[in-house]
Amino acid sequence: MNDRLSETFGALADPTRRAILARLASGEASVTELAEPFAMSMPAISKHLKVLERAGLIARGREAQWRPCRLQAAPLQDVAGWVEHYRRFWEESFDRLNDYLQELKKQDSKNRKKEKKHVRT
Amino acid sequence: MSAHNARISAVKESSEWDLVITRVFDAPRALVFKAWTDTKHMAQWWGPNGFTNPVCELDLRAGGAMRIDMRAPNGVVYPMKGVFEEIDEPERLVFVSSALDDKGNSMFDVLNTVTFVEQRGKTELTLQARVIKATTQAPQYLKGMQAGWMQSLDRLGAHLASIPGAK
Repeated sequence: MNDRLSETFGALADPTRRAILARLASGEASVTELAEPFAMSMPAISKHLKVLERAGLIARGREAQWRPCRLQAAPLQDVAGWVEHYRRFWEESFDRLNDYLQELKKQDSKNRKKEKKHVRT
Repeated sequence: MSAHNARISAVKESSEWDLVITRVFDAPRALVFKAWTDTKHMAQWWGPNGFTNPVCELDLRAGGAMRIDMRAPNGVVYPMKGVFEEIDEPERLVFVSSALDDKGNSMFDVLNTVTFVEQRGKTELTLQARVIKATTQAPQYLKGMQAGWMQSLDRLGAHLASIPGAK
């Protein structure tokens, strides 16, 4: 099943892969260059690159020796769309929750006053 | 900001994918927690402006189900189901929520962690959300949702314009 958005989110869930994407955002790079900042074996880095490639987040050059990696930003737009949507959902819900809580507090203090009257009489 | 710069900052901030929102509510923690866990209360605020919740059911225990049907101002219903993972009254709530398509299949599974911190009578609430599964239908859903929102904003605009004294 084609489930690219899930793959994108899955690929982004790892800090090393996010760092790789951040590096590629400033231009293409070779696998050796990408591996440099990490205390990781080349096979480990290659594994991360494969995940990113499968998610469509990077593309690799055809040149047999060097095969530079490039950022592909299209799937990121879907992700950014989700985040924006969800943020708005919660911001608006929280505004409503805030109003509702103030209402509850008012009711609560009214009830308490009533109870006090009850005790006195 | 150029598209390229926007792309770079989107890549650099991991928070772009782990949505984190913090808000301080002027209400005691017990009350805020109750507003999240009592259907009577939750149906009053869940969802964007102008939305109502004709169905709101919570089975408040670990593994318990939640079911909410949100209704947009234009009448479109957005069904959602979920499962409670952790209930630690009054400080923490963890649940997976799933937006459903018209066949009842999940389009997004989101892991939500909500923490409630008491601050001298006020409550600092933090919501952390992470997508754990999404299908290819999800982007279409977002577009539909956006339309529902625009309508509620239009209504709000019309309402404000109708208030005497408002510009």
